[in-house]
Amino acid sequence: MSRLDRATEWDDAAAVTRARAGDLDAYEVLVARYTAPAHRAAVLLGAGADADDVVQDAFVKAHRQISRYRGESGFRPWLLAIVANETRNLHRSRRRRDGLVLRAAAREDPAPSSPDPAESAMAAERRQRLVDQIRLLDAPEREVLVCRYLLDLSEAETATTLGVPKGTVKSRTARALAKLRNRLLVEEVPGG
Amino acid sequence: MADHVEDALVAELRALGDWLDVPEPADQRAAVRARLARLDHRRRRVRRWIVATVAAIVGTVAVVPPARAAVVDGVGDLLRVAGIEVRREAAPGGLPARPSRLPSVRPSTLDEARRVARFPVRVPAALGVPDRVLLADPDDAGAPRVVTLTYRGGTVRFDQFDGAVSPAFFKSAPAAQWVDIGAGPGIWLPGPHPVTYVDRKGIERTETARLAGPTLIWVAGTVTYRLEGLSTLKEARAVALSLD
Repeated sequence: MSRLDRATEWDDAAAVTRARAGDLDAYEVLVARYTAPAHRAAVLLGAGADADDVVQDAFVKAHRQISRYRGESGFRPWLLAIVANETRNLHRSRRRRDGLVLRAAAREDPAPSSPDPAESAMAAERRQRLVDQIRLLDAPEREVLVCRYLLDLSEAETATTLGVPKGTVKSRTARALAKLRNRLLVEEVPGG
Repeated sequence: MADHVEDALVAELRALGDWLDVPEPADQRAAVRARLARLDHRRRRVRRWIVATVAAIVGTVAVVPPARAAVVDGVGDLLRVAGIEVRREAAPGGLPARPSRLPSVRPSTLDEARRVARFPVRVPAALGVPDRVLLADPDDAGAPRVVTLTYRGGTVRFDQFDGAVSPAFFKSAPAAQWVDIGAGPGIWLPGPHPVTYVDRKGIERTETARLAGPTLIWVAGTVTYRLEGLSTLKEARAVALSLD
């Protein structure tokens, strides 16, 4: 853990302590700080157009449960666990599973590293294939890849977010990567 | 070989994160606050009962007069004496390795401290003459928020500050307990624990995480005292009761 992360954690700890004592201003600090990451997680975990509602519900629930927050792995994964749970509930109540609503790279390259348009087109195509294959994974494997790589969470944070042991995160990640790799290879070698 | 391929795929996945089209999040501050305020209104009645129950269980709190009860509050895992909050749980991320100091500390003398501080500066007679007098976190007029006296070569530290303001210190300690100090309640923290200081503006961004030894915290008038470095409650209490 870097020094910066530690400092952020202390900030959160202080804000949580005050929020627990009923200070709504302190809780607002946390809401402001974590709305964007919570929203991104909700979208990537499949909340789609309901992501904003999920985030708002998650913050209200988190406040209700804040006395149970123990700070082992930080406020962010603790909040994301509630976001992930709310997103799953959403699927259940909707009785549908549209999975990951991802649109890859509809926007311009933020820093065009390759001036060759053919090469950019190929990269865009590859990204879309990756997204399609991630969508086809089973929910547990998809969620673990989303947390570890698309949301850039550590193994411990992923474990907290998904509510599974760290060992499960490790094995599930390996399995998901192997599956993804095989499917991408099969796609690339027609009939192979 | 397999590792190499996997690393490439992982790198690709990580890079993919930057390319995903995620809509702008809505600002949730006002909506969340409004919902919490509504909930709070409904729960207040219930909470009053909880406070009453806790007060009945914790003897020291039950006997404090109403004015004191406003600043001392034992709900859940949070102990609070004016100006100091103690979370009765392990510190997140463990104990800090290196203590750092309070903001803008400068050495001074007892006379000066008494002259510039906006609260009465008191000295525990049982500890004798302080080694050093330190003033920290001054306001625009130079009045310190915290006055620190150190004793026994710096191993014993006595902080006093105006606790009528919002909490200035946060502590995380699993073994924190209520104790009786003379007329009022105090908190005894027997083991080392991290201390976070919240500066004068009340900004939570303070990064002063100091590792403290056994500590006794108590209030007299509007001033909050913390005494650190005496290993037993008995000794700490004797010093606390010797304030001039």
